[in-house]
Amino acid sequence: MRDFILKRAAALILPFIFVYGIYVILHGAVSPGGSFAGGIIVGLSFVAFATIYGIEKGKAKLPEQVLVWTESYGTLWYGLMGMVGLGRGVPFLANKLAGVDLGTPGTLASGGLIPLIGLGVGIRVASTIVTLFFTMMEEES
Amino acid sequence: MTALLRANLPVLVVIAPLFIAFILTPLARRIRLVETLAFLATVLGLGAAGHLATVVFARRGSPFIYQLGGWPPPWGIELVAGNLGVIFALVVTGVSVPVVLFARGNLTAEVGDTGRVTRFYVLYLLLVGALAGMAVTNDLFNIYVLVEVVTLSCCGLVSARRHPRAAEAAFTYLILATLGSAFVLGGIGLIYMLTGHLNMGFAGQELGRVWPDYPHTVLLAVSFVIIGFGVKAAVFPLHVWLPDAHATAPSPASAILSGLAVKGYLLCLLKFLYGVFGGVLLRELAVHRILTLLGVAGIIAGSLLALTQEELKRRLAYSTVAQVGYLVLGGGLLNATGLTGALFYLASHAVIKATLFLAAGAIQAATGKSRIRELAGVGRKMPLTMAAFTIGSCGLIGLPLFFGFIGKWYLLVGSLEAGMILPVVAILAGSVLCAAYLLPVIRTAYFRPAPAVAWRDPGRPQKLALLLLATAVVVLGVRPGPFLELARKAAAELMAFV
Repeated sequence: MRDFILKRAAALILPFIFVYGIYVILHGAVSPGGSFAGGIIVGLSFVAFATIYGIEKGKAKLPEQVLVWTESYGTLWYGLMGMVGLGRGVPFLANKLAGVDLGTPGTLASGGLIPLIGLGVGIRVASTIVTLFFTMMEEES
Repeated sequence: MTALLRANLPVLVVIAPLFIAFILTPLARRIRLVETLAFLATVLGLGAAGHLATVVFARRGSPFIYQLGGWPPPWGIELVAGNLGVIFALVVTGVSVPVVLFARGNLTAEVGDTGRVTRFYVLYLLLVGALAGMAVTNDLFNIYVLVEVVTLSCCGLVSARRHPRAAEAAFTYLILATLGSAFVLGGIGLIYMLTGHLNMGFAGQELGRVWPDYPHTVLLAVSFVIIGFGVKAAVFPLHVWLPDAHATAPSPASAILSGLAVKGYLLCLLKFLYGVFGGVLLRELAVHRILTLLGVAGIIAGSLLALTQEELKRRLAYSTVAQVGYLVLGGGLLNATGLTGALFYLASHAVIKATLFLAAGAIQAATGKSRIRELAGVGRKMPLTMAAFTIGSCGLIGLPLFFGFIGKWYLLVGSLEAGMILPVVAILAGSVLCAAYLLPVIRTAYFRPAPAVAWRDPGRPQKLALLLLATAVVVLGVRPGPFLELARKAAAELMAFV
């Protein structure tokens, strides 16, 4: 009962922090920030959740297996996006050369593959942050 | 399909091990699959490097240039697979295959449960991929990133062993290596500040034009680069972290750290000194004299320190400090013969040190003893392991018809060509000292009576790995022809900047 206010406030704020992290990741190509910063924001929203509601609930939300998967496959996703170029007969990590439509400059969809690559990096960074936090909490207890 | 592969070879050498590293962690429960995948990754890397070598050979000297993302050089990251890149990529991928074979089913005692073993393989593949990247990259910041990947995976590999000493060694290594990274980054920053380029070719050209205007900044950049890579490559006075780290790591990790990781930094140092700073600047700042002196000091001091070690793996680790001395010395001679010798010796030492460390690891695992005088009679109980160790020792001493001989010979001739007598003395003394610290091991193992215990050669994959490496030491020693040609062409590539 003691931390009722904290929990209520967190329930209101945390979803917005999470969505803001996704926003920063996806806007990496057109605005400051990017997948690394955004990934940390997403990760920190889970860290805050685990600190406020307790580690057990945090771990129930993001089980270790999920963290292992997102960590590995987030990075692999980056590599696969790089392979798009190879499939089209142009170099690794090619973007416009690979025939991806770059859209109108300045708009959200003007990065070609970059937001997709950023998504992989963001997911990886987020899960790394959460893993680091869980590991440190385990060592303390 | 083959055309597609062929067009992307320089990047495939790097990303093949990296990709497979990323899928290993979720498979931790199926350890056999992890081991097989890791083995396949190194074999794929070797295949790609071999194919790259044939492609570059067929191009007769003009390097295979690959632009990541299709961005041309001053802006994008450029991979250049010339003879220098090819020789190092071949060494890295070639040594990584037997080492991963040796690790197969053999890590539980040293590393722990399947989760930890999987992590070991992930770090191992990241290390191999990053080293292959060092071979082909032509971008300063790219080199920094690869240096960091190599450093962190090395620290992870050292701490993989469940032993308090391993944790301590890894921590010391982490601190000193991070300091080294900071120096490297500082050097790269200064070069970028002076030239406005991160591409090595462009930075080198621009630096050649502007350095008289900024003599002090250039001096600072050169010293940062030498100190940074010197710490990481364990060049003599900066070697303090190496013996602990390499002696306490799990044996396959020791083999790859001593055999390859240290060489990666030396290759980067050579690329910086020749490709970016250039021969004129090196002569002007007397960098080549400093390198020669560091090399001489390293050979003598490393060998003497190795002589005083009681533990087998520590003796081998100090021996690495001495062998790094040869390579630094070769880099400082500033002539084609010396460089050929250094590059050839780089390859020989990678193979030989991997053989020695794996054999030492097998002996330690079977007998549970690490001190040399406790190893009486090992030669008769573990014939194959000790035979591999003996062949490796002969190579490291530099006996003719073994892999180490040609490299040392070229270094010797190169020193004479440069008109310097001190390196000649150091190279010869180094060989004698090397015999002095390795032959007693062999004598104890073969000619002292064995205690009545059942020590046995390791399992089949381990035997195969030792056999492969020992065969390479002999075959490449007897027929060094094509490899020597490759080393000579690679040296010529570097000498073009002098």
